[in-house]
Amino acid sequence: MVGGVRDYLESLPEAVLTRLFQSPASCLAILRLLSPLAKTYLLDMVFTDAPVSLDRIDQLVKPEHRSAQVEAIEKLRHLHLIKERYASKTIVANSTFCTSLRCALTAGPANEKFGVPCDDRSSVTMDFLTEYSRTKWESILHFMVQSTIEIAESLPPPATGALNLLQQSGLMAGPSPTRLHITSEGFQFLLQDPNTQVWSLLLHYLHLASKIGRDEVDVLNFIFMLGSLEVGKEYAAQDISPTQQQILVDVADLGIIYHVPESKRFAPTPLAQILTSENGDGAAENTDAGKSLKGFIILETNFRMYAYTDSTLQICILNLFCDLKSRFSNLVVGRISRESVRRAFHNGITADQIIQYLTVHAHDQMKQTDSGQILAPTISDQIKLWQLELDRFVSNSGFLYRDFATAQEYNLIVNYAQEMGALMWKNDSRRMFFVDRDSNRKVLEYVNRKMTS
Amino acid sequence: MSKRRRQPTSYAGFDDAFDSDSEATVGSSDEELPELPRLKLNCGDPDDELVVREAASLHTQRTSDSVANIFGKGDFSYLDLKPDHEHRPLWINPEDGRIILECFSPLAEQAQDFLVTIAEPVSRPAHIHEYRITTYSLYAAVSVGLETEDIISVLNRLSKVPVPKSVVAFVHTCTVSYGKVKLVLKHNRYFVESAHAEILQMMLRDPVLSNLRIVGGDQTFRDGLLVQPRPINDLVIPGTHSASTIKPIDGSVTQHQKEGDVGGISALVNVDKDDDDDDTEAVHSFEIAPESVEEVKKRCQEIDYPVLEEYDFRNDTRNPNLDIDLKPSTQIRPYQEKSLSKMFGNGRARSGIIVLPCGAGKTLVGITAACTIRKSVIVLCTSSVSVMQWRQQFLQWCTIKPEDISVFTSESKEKFQGESGLVVSTYSMVANTRNRSHDSQKMMDFLTSREWGFIILDEVHVVPAAMFRRVVTTIAAHTKLGLTATLVREDDKIDDLNFLIGPKLYEANWMDLAQKGHIANVQCAEVWCPMTSEFYQEYIVADPRKGMLLYIMNPTKFQACQFLIEYHERRGDKIIVFSDNVYALKAYALKLGKPFIFGATPQQERMTILKNFQFNDAVNTIFLSKVGDTSIDLPEATCLIQISSHYGSRRQEAQRLGRILRAKRRNDEGFNAFFYSLVSKDTLEMYYSTKRQAFLVDQGYAFKVITHLLGMEKLPNLAYSLLSERKELLQMVLLQSEDAAGLEIGDDADSAVGRGQLKSSKVKARKTQGSLASLAGGEDMAYIEYNKSKNKELKKHHPVISKLYYKK
Repeated sequence: MVGGVRDYLESLPEAVLTRLFQSPASCLAILRLLSPLAKTYLLDMVFTDAPVSLDRIDQLVKPEHRSAQVEAIEKLRHLHLIKERYASKTIVANSTFCTSLRCALTAGPANEKFGVPCDDRSSVTMDFLTEYSRTKWESILHFMVQSTIEIAESLPPPATGALNLLQQSGLMAGPSPTRLHITSEGFQFLLQDPNTQVWSLLLHYLHLASKIGRDEVDVLNFIFMLGSLEVGKEYAAQDISPTQQQILVDVADLGIIYHVPESKRFAPTPLAQILTSENGDGAAENTDAGKSLKGFIILETNFRMYAYTDSTLQICILNLFCDLKSRFSNLVVGRISRESVRRAFHNGITADQIIQYLTVHAHDQMKQTDSGQILAPTISDQIKLWQLELDRFVSNSGFLYRDFATAQEYNLIVNYAQEMGALMWKNDSRRMFFVDRDSNRKVLEYVNRKMTS
Repeated sequence: MSKRRRQPTSYAGFDDAFDSDSEATVGSSDEELPELPRLKLNCGDPDDELVVREAASLHTQRTSDSVANIFGKGDFSYLDLKPDHEHRPLWINPEDGRIILECFSPLAEQAQDFLVTIAEPVSRPAHIHEYRITTYSLYAAVSVGLETEDIISVLNRLSKVPVPKSVVAFVHTCTVSYGKVKLVLKHNRYFVESAHAEILQMMLRDPVLSNLRIVGGDQTFRDGLLVQPRPINDLVIPGTHSASTIKPIDGSVTQHQKEGDVGGISALVNVDKDDDDDDTEAVHSFEIAPESVEEVKKRCQEIDYPVLEEYDFRNDTRNPNLDIDLKPSTQIRPYQEKSLSKMFGNGRARSGIIVLPCGAGKTLVGITAACTIRKSVIVLCTSSVSVMQWRQQFLQWCTIKPEDISVFTSESKEKFQGESGLVVSTYSMVANTRNRSHDSQKMMDFLTSREWGFIILDEVHVVPAAMFRRVVTTIAAHTKLGLTATLVREDDKIDDLNFLIGPKLYEANWMDLAQKGHIANVQCAEVWCPMTSEFYQEYIVADPRKGMLLYIMNPTKFQACQFLIEYHERRGDKIIVFSDNVYALKAYALKLGKPFIFGATPQQERMTILKNFQFNDAVNTIFLSKVGDTSIDLPEATCLIQISSHYGSRRQEAQRLGRILRAKRRNDEGFNAFFYSLVSKDTLEMYYSTKRQAFLVDQGYAFKVITHLLGMEKLPNLAYSLLSERKELLQMVLLQSEDAAGLEIGDDADSAVGRGQLKSSKVKARKTQGSLASLAGGEDMAYIEYNKSKNKELKKHHPVISKLYYKK
């Protein structure tokens, strides 16, 4: 779920990460992103400056779970949180990270790094924030999905900043931010869970920010900081840098915070909480997309689909891969067919994404099966088979040999190609054959050698 | 005599056809018959318009949202949910009368009982069922005693949304006049009966009807009508639970039982019953002369009050009783009891169709009904094999004396000796219009000259309308009961049954019965067999009929079949392999060395093979052609492989599945029966296969697609594993004439011609002297010769069979 941001962090060079580790808020957020085992290892080392021996690391894990241990250590190393010293067979934690994390955990001197709350009575209520983030976020998703259907009346488009982001991130494409249509990445985006969606947009934002010369560490620090703020409180915005000021405006467009331009305060919304929570539930409960996590789809073995929903957004998303037939106030009736699924494939959605979406959003009744499988295996198999139908052509790049003067010449070379396993196709009567690209060089050398000799 | 015994739902135009009934008119009237239901259905059309208008006006009123366009006419979000909608289980679609039922609702069970009475089940998988209200389903509801207001109020109670006006209007138009008037035979006198005095009075003001009325001296009148207390159901169906515990003594006990019979519905509707005025407590009637029955029915039809016929068999003293009772050890299952309670709802017998899955005990339902009516019975079934099975079942379950049972087939034509008895025969024997032998003509005369209390029509879905009409007109029976597992046909002829026999009284839920262990759990799988490239090349260029033969004879399919047989034989399963195509049937069976049965297999040989399959451990696999689709009762079979089938016939698929539903071992822990359908990939077969599965999928079965059989290549002696072998096979297939690609003609579920006729035609062919020309190229001649020689070959080359023969 949070794989997106973890992968991103792993891709950063050590120097950048070290700068990021200077912020206690970021360190806390990164700690939260880790797997439980990795967390344990790290916390074990944070307060001891001395290196930890590898034996001790091994002792913490039962031999049968060794793979989990290896994975956790691997993750930590990739994030440059630990360093292995092979000579002494010890592991040492990143000292910058340790200092910052200690500071975060013990409420040390850099406490203002977690934002400065406004002391006076807050003018925003929890309900207001929830509703605000919901409308903002949904208007974006709606805008994306709207381009797929004939709609009766369109909702107001999201703010220009958000539109720009959609276009730049490749989720939508078009000549101008007002005339956009959804791309295949966009379709895939729609089927993701809210947590992944928010992070993937923010990563695109990060990317964009570094492109226009902003310091990504600054941006990242700020985003992590937002995630650790308390929802329902207002925070002062005067002490932040101009870059951060601009970020405030941009993330407000996405509904992550509530911020009136020019005002000196801002308030994080439930959507902001997603940023540092391990999975989307809890925090996202109050958004409409979050509601879906309760499960509302019943898919029968006869491919009829019944969705308990009245959300237009969910209906639009279902419409991407399902033939919707009729609708009552709280129920949508449809059917998954070869055609409807192929339409989705055509839009770039994959079978796995459809299955994932149906599984995540399955109704509680679907989960009460003896087999433990939420989706009937026949259904998921069939969706996969429909996808396989489309992938029946396998393309291989390579080189075609033809116009041989004599059969002997042809046979000589074709046999050589066959012996070395490079031959992919041949037609003896027409003296043509096809060679796989990677092995072509050797065949060519052979040809040259033979021709010249 | 026969004219008096019309089925209850005949209609005016239809009776005309009856009156002029003779063999000559059959051909022409066959074509007009399908028109009838449509004609009646037209009454639905104004409603449809009404619906559209209603929906349209509401559309404009409410604020449509951004997704309304996706649904178009299917957007019913304007129907407001009731405040307590969460506790109610269903939605009603105003557009087409579809009902969506939440099966996990606490009320679902009652709702299912009710819906199956008033609506057609469309799909019944695990969580959400769909039903559909149709004209016929409402007729059926009315004929089992539900009233218009009951239907609407119960619907309203169960529905999350208010019952749409269009649906209310539809229920009204379909039920307002239907079933209000009954024609009852009592003490050999005919009465027109109704719970509504005003309807009868209206009828008596009709000039035609008033002339036909007889006024007797011994009756009490009110407003010119005969008044009697409402008949109460003191009838106990033998074999039911109540039969073994409570013996009804007086009305109060039986009244209680009646409520029990109607089950959940009465619990929901009896509040309304209390509110009814006194009039309904009594029934009103007037008498008519027996000879004017036909005229009365016709007139009633004209004034839009079609009469519903009921048979008051307990008061029928003219027809002698048959000494038949269920054996004390015989117990019937709850769903069988439920279906019978629909048939004998008010102490009289009504005609209709009962739909139960194969293996769920249709025969016992028929037998119990016969034991309830206790008059002379005639049973018609599809083949002589099932004739013997019916006879045997009667002897097994009830006390009927063997000499009272007579069998009328091409082999046996004996009558029973007593005043009353039981006749078992096939449709084709009775409906045969060709010249009959002296014996069978005498037997037919015997059948047509008598009055029968009850006729059981087995596998009722297979019989085309023309044949039915002949059967129904030639045999005078008071009550008709149709039995089937699959009331679907690819043509629309199913609707005809509503008129010819009666409404569908009950349809069981397959999954429900499987869960309760009445029928076996089945794992269904579709095995994809890629065409080998040699075969596919030919397939692409071949004409459709030849193409069919190519995809059936696909070597990969053969290998899959071989692999599955070996695999399941090792597990200890008994396997039936089905092939519609006789050429493939023989080719597969001979290659694999397994016994096979098809249309031309003589009766004696069939029986031997079936017996061996049942009891001989050495015979674990048999190959069957279409003859095995229905009515072959093999509880030993636990695995079924289908290699060729009748295009997209949903019914055949379900019937074949039915062969393993009665598996003896079904109640073993974790037992599963297996149903494999082998299809050649990328051929037309794939398309048919999807179509065929539609019915079963709607019953909640799931077909798992198997793209690769693990370990198939490693099977020792795998056939056609060498290219040369495959090429040889291809040559053989290509050499076959197109006839080989055809499906078996005759002696199957789909054709009217049963075994009897096939036999006679064979005899005829043998007598014909072949000219030199026909010997040289006459297709028929060549075909029959070919069959015979193959048969001999089988006996010679087939060790299993020849061994069996020597043993005897």
